Amino acid sequence: MDAYIEGSDAAFRMLFERYAPILLRLTRRHLRSDELAQEIVQQTFFRLHGARNDFRRGSKLRPWVMTIAMNLVREHWRRKKRRKMTSLEVETQAAPEPEFLPLEIRERSKLLHEALDRLPTSQREVIELHWFQERPYAEVAIIVGTSEGAVRVRAHRAYATLKQLLTSEIHGDE
Amino acid sequence: MTNGSDRGGPDAGLGERLRELEPVDRPDNGELIDRMFTNVKSKCDKSDKTIAGFFRSRSTTVRRLIVLAVFAVLAVAGWSSFPLVDESLRDPEWLATLVAFFVLLIVAMMMVTRPVHRPELPRWQVACLVCIALGATVLAAFWPTAGAHAATHEHSSGMMAGACMGFGLMLGVPVYALLRLVDRGNAFGSLVAAAAAGLAGNFVLKAHCAIDTTGHVLLGHASVAVLFVVGLGLVHRWIPSK
Repeated sequence: MDAYIEGSDAAFRMLFERYAPILLRLTRRHLRSDELAQEIVQQTFFRLHGARNDFRRGSKLRPWVMTIAMNLVREHWRRKKRRKMTSLEVETQAAPEPEFLPLEIRERSKLLHEALDRLPTSQREVIELHWFQERPYAEVAIIVGTSEGAVRVRAHRAYATLKQLLTSEIHGDE
Repeated sequence: MTNGSDRGGPDAGLGERLRELEPVDRPDNGELIDRMFTNVKSKCDKSDKTIAGFFRSRSTTVRRLIVLAVFAVLAVAGWSSFPLVDESLRDPEWLATLVAFFVLLIVAMMMVTRPVHRPELPRWQVACLVCIALGATVLAAFWPTAGAHAATHEHSSGMMAGACMGFGLMLGVPVYALLRLVDRGNAFGSLVAAAAAGLAGNFVLKAHCAIDTTGHVLLGHASVAVLFVVGLGLVHRWIPSK
């Protein structure tokens, strides 16, 4: 990051190659659209470029980029809500599951996505960061801008809701 | 993948189920990353060549100092070009109103220049600031200073209200433009900048306008803040950006 702040293009590229795939995974699951996810990731790096002089030597870059990306995702949903998108449009926006997966897995993954979609945004982003991105609660708290305790409560509620939504399936598996 | 049970995550059954989502992730090929990087790089290079890009890439401390310096220059220019209200009108209420406008202006400036790597402010905080800013300008109309009525008899109230409104709007525009120039794209940045512009206009009008009747302040001063918030802030928010 220090080399990038000093103007090294190679360092910028290295950072991009390291963090873009992580951010793509993060935003794809939230937005369920490849195109939108790519746009948000590019916008994240554009904002990072503008904010590079705020970076303090020795601090971690990952929470930075994740916070910027999550802010952009939230802004996207807010704009979308404002434009009063119909539920039909939302459905068409959703990215299709990859064709190479068996039908049963695609169905199960669709159900899981639907369950995740039903969570409030604040809980969903905690699940995304804690479970899927494997970030510890302390880091999740920094990214979403709340206390670690509040993040734990959100996660607990989200897992409980998800479990409730998926109970029948889980029992079915057993 | 997180071991949920060790770290306060879901139990084993739900954990297994959540793991199923992982195969859905597509492998990110180098070509896609290359293309995205090229886009970002060209956008960054283009932005670096613009004035806005230059200001936005300064550190947060520098951006705030730039804004404060411009505020100071505007204040000194106003002070030297136009006389302050008569000394008899400079009572504690007048001073308190100016201080309140200034504090709100600084809070708005801090919100607009908030670093983007920090979580965005909750919507209620932005709404609170805008409401307090508008409320303060309206409240000032119902808090007349001593001896204000004497001054009003000399002027045609309606015409003077129009002049004050025009002057206030004119003063707010550079403040709005400056704040947008240093805003790195915070959510609600335009709305907060509009409130700040309205406050700046009201601050100057309060300092220099001797007419302090409720009608005049409502029509000529408070309307500046309302017009900024409604006209610039909300319209800007509702126009879809790129």
